[in-house]
Amino acid sequence: MKEDLMEIICCPLDKHDLDLEVTERDDGEILSGQLTCTECSETFPIEDGIPNLLPPDMRDEAPA
Amino acid sequence: MSEETRDRGDGDGGSGDRPSLADQRGVESVYQPAEDSDLLARTARERVEAGDTVLDVGTGSGYVAATLADAGAQAVGVDVSPLACRETADNGIPVVRGDLVESFRADAFDLVAFNPPYLPTPPEQEWDDWMEHALSGGDDGRRLVDPFLETVERVLAPSGEVLMLVSSLTDPDAVRAFASEHGLASEQLASEKHPYEALVVLRFYRD
Repeated sequence: MKEDLMEIICCPLDKHDLDLEVTERDDGEILSGQLTCTECSETFPIEDGIPNLLPPDMRDEAPA
Repeated sequence: MSEETRDRGDGDGGSGDRPSLADQRGVESVYQPAEDSDLLARTARERVEAGDTVLDVGTGSGYVAATLADAGAQAVGVDVSPLACRETADNGIPVVRGDLVESFRADAFDLVAFNPPYLPTPPEQEWDDWMEHALSGGDDGRRLVDPFLETVERVLAPSGEVLMLVSSLTDPDAVRAFASEHGLASEQLASEKHPYEALVVLRFYRD
């Protein structure tokens, strides 16, 4: 993901801002890291350049 | 899920008088652009201006988002499927794995496009894989249409609008009535006849 995505995403649970912590960056692209809600402290992973903002209870859910 | 398992599921559910979802839509794991995505993309493209921020919900391969990016919009896709997110990212479109519009800020978008799973599907025909998730709208075809209409207004910019593709099989009048109950006025922007169904693009906006 590019950092400017931060301007439109929020915590899916309480809609508060997210803090970005970058683990790996390539050019302008954030490849891995973590997003943390500034309000509820829930964390969301960035893996292979894609932020996973599914609520925790949907992360491991089977499709359908 | 393996091809073999899919084929079995398909055979078991093959007693209906309509072709199976697999036969109608192919059996890829990520929904590939078809007539519905194309009609939605063409209709939305006419309405975006360069610099608009747009969201493509259930982006699949990222086709609608890519079309709008091509028109100069800042387009972002969201999908619940990890496979769809991978494909969209590989196509160069910013993408978020998420549930409908839940992970986006209030007032963020000038336009939100949604080509939902809209085929009414009896439970015995569902296969529990990502492709089925992309196609099946549940019993009435509105499994994701209704929750989307309940939540989308929050992310619309003050003059923002929603374009959603539905099928005649999904009962567009019922969809519009439901939206109206949630404060969204609507109009029909486009319609195309296809075998088994008509595809309709509805526009929703604040009442």
